[in-house]
Amino acid sequence: MLRRALPFVVLALSAVAQDAPVVYRGAQLWPGDGAPIADAVLVIQNGRVQNVGGKSTTIPDGARIVECAGAVITPGLIDAAWAGPVPVADANEQSTEITPSLHVLDNLDPQHPAFARVRNTGVTTVHLMPGTRSVMGGLSAVLQTWASDPTSMVLRDEATLRLVLGAEPSMGNRAIRGGSVDSIYYRRPTTRMGVIWSARRAFFDAKEQIAETQGGQKTTRTAQEQRDLSVLARVLQGTLPLVTTARSEQDLRTALRLAAEFGYTPVIDEAQDAYMVVDELQKSRVVVMVAAPSANAVGGPAGQDGAEPRYSTLKKLQDAGVPFVITTGTNQNAVDLVREAMFAHRFGLTREQALAAVTTQPAALLAIQDRKGRLAAGMDADFVVWSTDPFDPASTPTTVVIRGTDTTQKP
Amino acid sequence: MNPSRRSSAHVATLLPFLVAATLQGGLLAQSPQTTQDLLVTCASLVVAPDTAITPGVMLVRDGKVAQLGNEIPEEARARAKVCAFDGATIVPGFVLAHSTLGQEQDLAERAVALTPDLLAAEAFDPAGLVLRHLPEHGFTSCVLSPSSTNVAGGIAALVEPGKVDARSLGSLRIAETYAKFSLIAAARNPERQPTSLMGAMDLLRNAFQDAKTGQLTGSEGAAFTAVARGERRAVVHADTRAEILAALTLAKELGIEPVIAGAAEACDCLAELAAARAAVILPPMQPEQRDEQLMLPARLEQAAILFCFAGSPALARSSAALAVQNGCSKKAALAALTRTPAALCAAETTHGSLRRGCDADFVVFDGDPLDLSSQQLAVYGDGVLLFGTAGTSTDKLADKRASLQKETL
Repeated sequence: MLRRALPFVVLALSAVAQDAPVVYRGAQLWPGDGAPIADAVLVIQNGRVQNVGGKSTTIPDGARIVECAGAVITPGLIDAAWAGPVPVADANEQSTEITPSLHVLDNLDPQHPAFARVRNTGVTTVHLMPGTRSVMGGLSAVLQTWASDPTSMVLRDEATLRLVLGAEPSMGNRAIRGGSVDSIYYRRPTTRMGVIWSARRAFFDAKEQIAETQGGQKTTRTAQEQRDLSVLARVLQGTLPLVTTARSEQDLRTALRLAAEFGYTPVIDEAQDAYMVVDELQKSRVVVMVAAPSANAVGGPAGQDGAEPRYSTLKKLQDAGVPFVITTGTNQNAVDLVREAMFAHRFGLTREQALAAVTTQPAALLAIQDRKGRLAAGMDADFVVWSTDPFDPASTPTTVVIRGTDTTQKP
Repeated sequence: MNPSRRSSAHVATLLPFLVAATLQGGLLAQSPQTTQDLLVTCASLVVAPDTAITPGVMLVRDGKVAQLGNEIPEEARARAKVCAFDGATIVPGFVLAHSTLGQEQDLAERAVALTPDLLAAEAFDPAGLVLRHLPEHGFTSCVLSPSSTNVAGGIAALVEPGKVDARSLGSLRIAETYAKFSLIAAARNPERQPTSLMGAMDLLRNAFQDAKTGQLTGSEGAAFTAVARGERRAVVHADTRAEILAALTLAKELGIEPVIAGAAEACDCLAELAAARAAVILPPMQPEQRDEQLMLPARLEQAAILFCFAGSPALARSSAALAVQNGCSKKAALAALTRTPAALCAAETTHGSLRRGCDADFVVFDGDPLDLSSQQLAVYGDGVLLFGTAGTSTDKLADKRASLQKETL
């Protein structure tokens, strides 16, 4: 176990020792929100970017120089829908379908090897949501993929609430076919329409609770019901984003219909069939989190939802002006986030658009844009030094820096 | 109902059972009665892990340690029956901090996840085989704990093996000690709520909150309230890093200092455990374990985290010896068998050491107890021989009476 703990100790020490400025010099730098800078100078100190610019940029006295000629530097990538390190059994509370007040953070193992694996692919920030086996699984969290202590990994708790449409939440539930009812799985929903009924009823109850509260009426609901409905009330009042996982065309339309019915603006997640409903998405002014655009099929149980992914989806969204981010999501066929962006570039997005879809756009979506997603003075020093163009299949991250600390685990 | 009233109610519930058992052979700890004092002598008397008397002398009166060393008056020495263990080392009787004593089925009310007011004492079998064999391994008391299959399993009890012979009934020493919680996979039953760790956390968090706001009342509410107020210690079974950190998070929210049982991945959470002022109940150690597990006691000691051993009684002493071999101090290793588990079940004034007023529970070794080549010679509970061979007995008073009788004749 000492061996496993050692990288953390070493990294923590290097973080403490990093008071002197460090300059990464000579790389081509893609800041995330502007034109690439050739022969760039990136100055970082105390975990933040001090300065970024061309080769004439002033290098502070006493700075340690890291030569990066031939390399490419990008902001650290942000995966806005990371399946993450939580086992399926813990990511989903199966005893009931509507559990909006659960916290995915309660499942967190900050030293899970999945963090090191995803970090070594250039991802420095992730959005961890509950699983997709419940209609409303609970509250998500935004995490750095490394920090000197577990508490500092958490950028935002209760970042979003997840609603899952389609057939997946109803899987495992079953109708009573005689005999004694001795299982928690003898329950609704068992169908796609049952899933929607569950969500609609929950929102309806939340509206009632809001009205009761505003009217000063005494509630007859249990404490647990009140807790759950208070989370949904935040969605209806616009203070908590609702991520709606919808893969197929019919589920996407349902997601928009539910949102219109109850008056909230959702974030659409997975969205493999988004190319079929581009106009509706545009009119609804939603942000779409497209999962695994490199995959031409949805793997796992969600494959039964009937979605038919197309490589052209992102280009169609881009052309229609629908804001989107690229994620790895729950699709078992997903590859590394940078490879997903690479495929997006291959199938029509510019480099800048593809990079923005895994840096600045998810940062804005997750409300961390004042710290993450770009390389500019004052931002967190989260960046990746790639051996070459990150959209080249042979490119690898040689250095992954999070808040000024080199977290790269070299063999 | 407040916890103390509830506690009384539970004792009242148990009373008929206890009285009946007492009539059958002494289930309850025997009420004080005047018997001849016992003067125990040995080469070294370890009063507590950091205190030893050499040569060791201890006066036992009515099952309790009455006086130690030079403070024992000559008159008392003369009247006492001497029990001499020449060249031996005596240590406090071992305390097992967590066990189901082979009664797992009776201690797991699986139908619902929250059963905080169940009493393990209600399931106590005073004739249990595991209980009867405890003295063979140096244990003179043991915590009977609810099973780890419930998120809030109930309240543990401190029990002791029978004092007369191997077939005598054990006794219930403290009916309510710590409250048992569990976040391990076994508590996350796929056929009832909760099925996930976050579900288990939500259940506990809400139960404590509802108890605080008065929405959860009765004995269940009182059980949660007692823990939240720090009146009853919480022992949480948690193995993985996620479970341990979840337990520490909840403890922090409640403002309590938890005890983590199991703690298989504690070596990755030392800083968090130390910051939470948590204690740890470790499973038995075995020589074939990986280095990080073998070195865990030493690392816990370095981090000032209290720890003790539970699980199989047969492996407890060898676990302490392995801990010493892997860098742990003898003081901490011996404390892990005696003082620390007694403290975790709120019995440190009577168990885990041999200070004045403590129960005369002790184990006699022919050498260092943490050297596995040392033989365990005898085990005493409340001054009564439970296992092994009694020390060389000399009864000066009886000898004098016999001598006087002879002269008269």
